[in-house]
Amino acid sequence: MTLVLIVALVTGAILFGIGVYGALSQTNLVMIMMGVELILAGALVNLVAFWRFLHPESYSGQMFVLVVMTVMAVEMAVGFGVAIARFRAKGSVEMEEAGDLKG
Amino acid sequence: MYAQAFFVAVFGLAAIGFGVVVFRTSSMVRSALALLFSQTAVGCMFLAMQTEFLGVLQIMMMATEMSIMAIFMVMFMMDPGGMGGMDMTHQKRFSIGAGVVAAGVAIVVAFWADWGPVTAEAPDAAMQTRALGMELLGRSMLIFETAGITILTAMIAATAVAIPVQTTANSADKEDTE
Repeated sequence: MTLVLIVALVTGAILFGIGVYGALSQTNLVMIMMGVELILAGALVNLVAFWRFLHPESYSGQMFVLVVMTVMAVEMAVGFGVAIARFRAKGSVEMEEAGDLKG
Repeated sequence: MYAQAFFVAVFGLAAIGFGVVVFRTSSMVRSALALLFSQTAVGCMFLAMQTEFLGVLQIMMMATEMSIMAIFMVMFMMDPGGMGGMDMTHQKRFSIGAGVVAAGVAIVVAFWADWGPVTAEAPDAAMQTRALGMELLGRSMLIFETAGITILTAMIAATAVAIPVQTTANSADKEDTE
């Protein structure tokens, strides 16, 4: 059983790493959001594996998964709102052209 | 047990493979579809780990989210089809290093940590859904309600941000053109 837990944790870790690479390397706002989605997917895999193999009697683990899914939905909604506003103002969602947001 | 490990590994490999494709393809629409397949594979991993409700929820949510993302890709990208072969990346070396270090540290922790006794049997699907419902409307109700309010606030905020601002100068310009 530990084998399945380790397989799930390693998968989650690699998804997290790919997401970190994507969020840091992409110049487009929508692609950066895709990286963040992969980071959260890695976290979801770990949470489900922890619930299933370590504490299946406590449903707080599944509740935590629902909270992370909420964070994913909120990130998408706010990200697209910002993308639309930025596109209207500057005609592009390229983050290399967004130096004026530094303040 | 080995069957479960096999299916978790197969879907895990699919999730990782499609996750890599997201940042490797030059077509942004293909990127969105690859992310959809990656998230669906994650949902299938949940099903293989006998977490039926969350697995189905993940697949349904991500199918909707990624379809919307593909539409936004076509709207906002200069080259959504990737025909121009544009490079849309920066600080590549640093990003690869950060990704490898993040994944490496998490893998080392996964192998070295003492996870304690592992449970072989999971509650059946109906029992899980019932117990999760009781959890949502019992002990975790405040968290559940907060999540709902947060999504509602985010929807209103996103709509407010996306609506074009009507300034006096804009209105005067419009009147002039009419």
